[in-house]
Amino acid sequence: MKISLDWISDFVDLSGIAPATIAERLTLCTAEVEGFEVLRRCVEGVVIGEVTAVEPLGGNLRLATVDCGSRSYSTVCGAPNLRVGMKAAFAPAGALLAGGTRIEVTEVGGRRSEGVLCSAMELGMSRWHEVLLECPPSLAKGTPLASLIPGEDVIIEIDNKSLTHRPDLWGHYGIARELAAIFGRDLRPLPVADLSPYDHLPAFPLTVEDFENCPCYGCLELSVPPGLPSPLVMQRRLHALGQRTFNLLVDVTNYVMLELAQPTHAFDGDLVRAIRVAPMGRSGTFTTLDGQERQLLPDDLMIWNQSEPVALAGIMGGLASEVRPNTRRLLLESANFKAARIRRTSVRLDLRTDSAQRFEKSQPPANVKTAVARILRLMQEAGAHPEVTSRFTVAGDLKDIFRPLAMPRSLLHTMAGTEINDAEVTRILTALGFQAEFDAGGMLRLGIPPHRSEKDISIPADVVEEVLRIYGYGRIEPRMPSVAIRPLHVEQPLRREHKARRLMAQGHGFIEVQNYGWFDETWLRQLGFTPEKPLALKNPSAQQNRLLRTTLIPNLLALVPRNRVHRDSFRLFEIGHVYAAADDGSSLEGTRLAGVSFHQLQQPTLEEHFRALRGVIEDLGRVLSCGPLRFEAPPVDPAAVPPTDSDSQAGAAAPYGNVPWQVPQYFVFVTRNHKTVGSLGALSGKILDAVAPDGQVLWFELDLEALEGPIYPQLKYQASPIYPGSWQDFSLVWDLTQGFAALESRLDAFSHPLVMRREFLYVYKGKGLPPGKGSYSFRFWLGTRDHTLTSDEIGEFRDAFLKFLQSHGLPLRA
Amino acid sequence: MDDIREQFLAELNKAASAKEIDEVRVRYLGRKGVITLLAKNTDFSKLTPEQKRDFGRRLNELKALAESEIGRALEAAKAREAAAPAAVLANLDRTLPGTGHSLGCIHPIALVQMELEDIFQGMGFMVLTGPEVEKEYYNFDALNIPPDHPARDMQDTYWLTNGMLLRTHTSAIQVRAMERFGAPLRAIFPGRCFRYEAIDASHENTFYQLEGLMVDEGISVANLIAVMKALLSEIFHREVTVRLRPGFFPFVEPGFELDAQCLLCGGKGCSTCKGSGWIELIPCGLVHPRVLEFGRIDTSKYSGFAFGLGLTRLAMMKFGIPDIRLMNSGDIRFYEQFPAAV
Repeated sequence: MKISLDWISDFVDLSGIAPATIAERLTLCTAEVEGFEVLRRCVEGVVIGEVTAVEPLGGNLRLATVDCGSRSYSTVCGAPNLRVGMKAAFAPAGALLAGGTRIEVTEVGGRRSEGVLCSAMELGMSRWHEVLLECPPSLAKGTPLASLIPGEDVIIEIDNKSLTHRPDLWGHYGIARELAAIFGRDLRPLPVADLSPYDHLPAFPLTVEDFENCPCYGCLELSVPPGLPSPLVMQRRLHALGQRTFNLLVDVTNYVMLELAQPTHAFDGDLVRAIRVAPMGRSGTFTTLDGQERQLLPDDLMIWNQSEPVALAGIMGGLASEVRPNTRRLLLESANFKAARIRRTSVRLDLRTDSAQRFEKSQPPANVKTAVARILRLMQEAGAHPEVTSRFTVAGDLKDIFRPLAMPRSLLHTMAGTEINDAEVTRILTALGFQAEFDAGGMLRLGIPPHRSEKDISIPADVVEEVLRIYGYGRIEPRMPSVAIRPLHVEQPLRREHKARRLMAQGHGFIEVQNYGWFDETWLRQLGFTPEKPLALKNPSAQQNRLLRTTLIPNLLALVPRNRVHRDSFRLFEIGHVYAAADDGSSLEGTRLAGVSFHQLQQPTLEEHFRALRGVIEDLGRVLSCGPLRFEAPPVDPAAVPPTDSDSQAGAAAPYGNVPWQVPQYFVFVTRNHKTVGSLGALSGKILDAVAPDGQVLWFELDLEALEGPIYPQLKYQASPIYPGSWQDFSLVWDLTQGFAALESRLDAFSHPLVMRREFLYVYKGKGLPPGKGSYSFRFWLGTRDHTLTSDEIGEFRDAFLKFLQSHGLPLRA
Repeated sequence: MDDIREQFLAELNKAASAKEIDEVRVRYLGRKGVITLLAKNTDFSKLTPEQKRDFGRRLNELKALAESEIGRALEAAKAREAAAPAAVLANLDRTLPGTGHSLGCIHPIALVQMELEDIFQGMGFMVLTGPEVEKEYYNFDALNIPPDHPARDMQDTYWLTNGMLLRTHTSAIQVRAMERFGAPLRAIFPGRCFRYEAIDASHENTFYQLEGLMVDEGISVANLIAVMKALLSEIFHREVTVRLRPGFFPFVEPGFELDAQCLLCGGKGCSTCKGSGWIELIPCGLVHPRVLEFGRIDTSKYSGFAFGLGLTRLAMMKFGIPDIRLMNSGDIRFYEQFPAAV
């Protein structure tokens, strides 16, 4: 919002204070100032003149005679509002206009032009140049314009966002009050007309049917001469704030809105004979005064002239009841509307008027009357001699009283963390318009002024803020709180995340990424994936981003094609939330750790690659101390998928069945205590083609909550054997299609007292073996706790194992 | 014996390395060395006492010479070797780069989050989490945000078809934390937030915040300022000048915007602070009594302060990341710049 210091000077004398200081102090005490600009009008030698004759010259041009008191001038002018009898600003030859134009005598179409009749732009007031600036007829001919329009003004721009809670600051008077309090200067009262002399007049017919949305409605009927130009002081200020000026009737409502923050509306009093405030009641259309036809809903609040809607309440008047240049009788509306109602309608219609913007901040109803009194006063001062024909008629509560509030002095001091003397407290509050005094019991007794809305000031903390911001936050000495020491709760799941994050990044070279929390349905279709029970957004940023992710894998896979152009191989991981709909309609949410590993080439082999990733997950199980993780190839029958942990929310959200990256023969479930906690696999076939043809893409996803374990594991020392042991290696020939796990479970059947540990060394596939067979090498660590092994004992173990192999049909490699 | 001496000196002369010199030593002075054998193989019984004496003297001289020459040569060789490139001698190029790296990367936001968690835990704050899919109650109602507040609109908040929403700020955890732990309470809540927003270089619909909350007896504005100053000097590793100015948030009263004096220009005004000398950093305030009531905290006994830090924004400031879209870009070349050095 823009604030003119010229305007402010009507209410508070800020002489001697630099604009930069004003801006800085406003920022620190009230609201953020975005900047200020010095408006330089730079006009010299312009005087008020009266147009005494007009002669057409062809085209738009006319020759005007302008009487400037001491002499008359002729000038050629193309303005549409040029007419005999009007008063306007005239720049004779020698005068200097805005932008540095020096006026000279010229000839236009053979006629001598001795100067220029000025528009607002030529006078440096604004950019409006289409028409001549209309000057009030009361101004004497020859009056120098410089005495009416000072050469300089300072416009301060305040960030609207920092004013949302302060309806009173949406007008100059509210800002003036703040500045008076900040700089310790006096605030002059707002000059208003006394409305009581009209109390004997008849009331205007007024009915409010919706007090919920219109808590207070006031109106006054009056007549003024039509087409009267506004005083130049009013015009210069409106122009300085970017408003266009028309005539007194229109300008004065804008002026008072910018001064008091209370929007008002003027109806053509001949057309509007009774006011009813009620909702639209049906869907329909209404033409606002900007000529647009608006689609209305039954709830939209309307102002009715009996059965005819005449205004969209608090937002914009109707075209049909608009004040016209010849309007004499006016019905002045000043009302209070509920913020939410105005906002809903204005947002829906995208009709963000100055009026709607102010009502949305919850204006105090007391201004309903003040605004009318102020308008009347300004009309009187402008010499319009308004003739009031109704009493000020009001429906609803003006709430123009001070609201009481009491708080102990100690509360103020405690909240501040510093002591502020009573005199300063009452000075600040009084300057802000409060009634404030301390009683003998140490209570601060307050009257909250009507201009501060209930939303804004209602509890002691609100008052503390008022005092401290003017007192100056910078004057409060920082002080560390002193508190009792106690052990802190540790949020285990978060610690687990960090442990996992460090292991992945520091131990296994993974790069952490973050993806959006929603799927890209276009990508899902390419992958051939339909999520189960996803949550959906009502208002996604893009239609394909409607579904929240139920798994981290698809978004991670999307990064493979994007990054394979940069690197031959990479490992990415993400820790993030997944979501799903619960059966009762609520939401499930869990934390997952997922990764992808990509190799451009076929080295290492897919099997080596897979084993490396399995090693990462095994490490993760160790780091998280969650007990052994198992890797189970899924059974052929999908119904026999290992159960997920139904106690875990994320488990329920987990799509561990029937997803395209779980390619049969290419993936395993990760289980813990016979519950599925994740899966690990390699892409193959169609989905590999969609993600990274010819590359190796491995993925895994784990439910971090299901990997719960102590942050600091319970470890137990075991003495190392005293007596040296020995080892024996064997290579067994085994069917590749049956796989390692089947062989291992066979070997599990062999037990011998000397075997301390069995270790798998490697598998050899290739030359020297029958087709479809592999050679699996194992090492048996042998030993005892009470003596050194003898060669006889080793020989005896060897015999026993070979016998076992023979009886189980497990041949040794030749 | 003279021949032996000449031969020895010639061989020693040829021996360049310590190893070769040692070979010479073994050849002459070893158990089966030429000089040693010379003494052993001489039949002293055939010699006259004078010859014996003479032989013994010469032999001793030869041995002494050999030993001292070898010692000298060894010393010289060692000195030479110390000066010579190790690689040549031991076949080790110590200048080749290391192999087998397995250090990956941690997301820059996570790096900042971990650092801040450490700072706050050092000051006795718990670190708590909350759900991203949140109830309207915790995200708005319990924070004293009126039912008609614009923030609840579809153009500001992502709403779910089931009536829930994606939390718009980590403040949503405030009342959850009060319900869990009551008062006194000191905690931070880092986490992901979502706002319906058009994305550009400085706006994201998905970003991270860190909310802080302290509830105790007699908590004041002076306390808030002190904690914020301590926090900022920990983050930026130097004293930071701050200022408080009014800021409005429905869940605090009084509410502030805490500005830090621009760390780049020191307050003179530059492009980073848009010429103002100050950077808007931490919205904060004393917790609104109504919020404490929602958290079932006894407001006659306790008060509190709360603050919000933009983790994403802080990461951008700390690491000089110019475009917020890089954070969720999935571009490995971006993430690779943040090694997991925490």
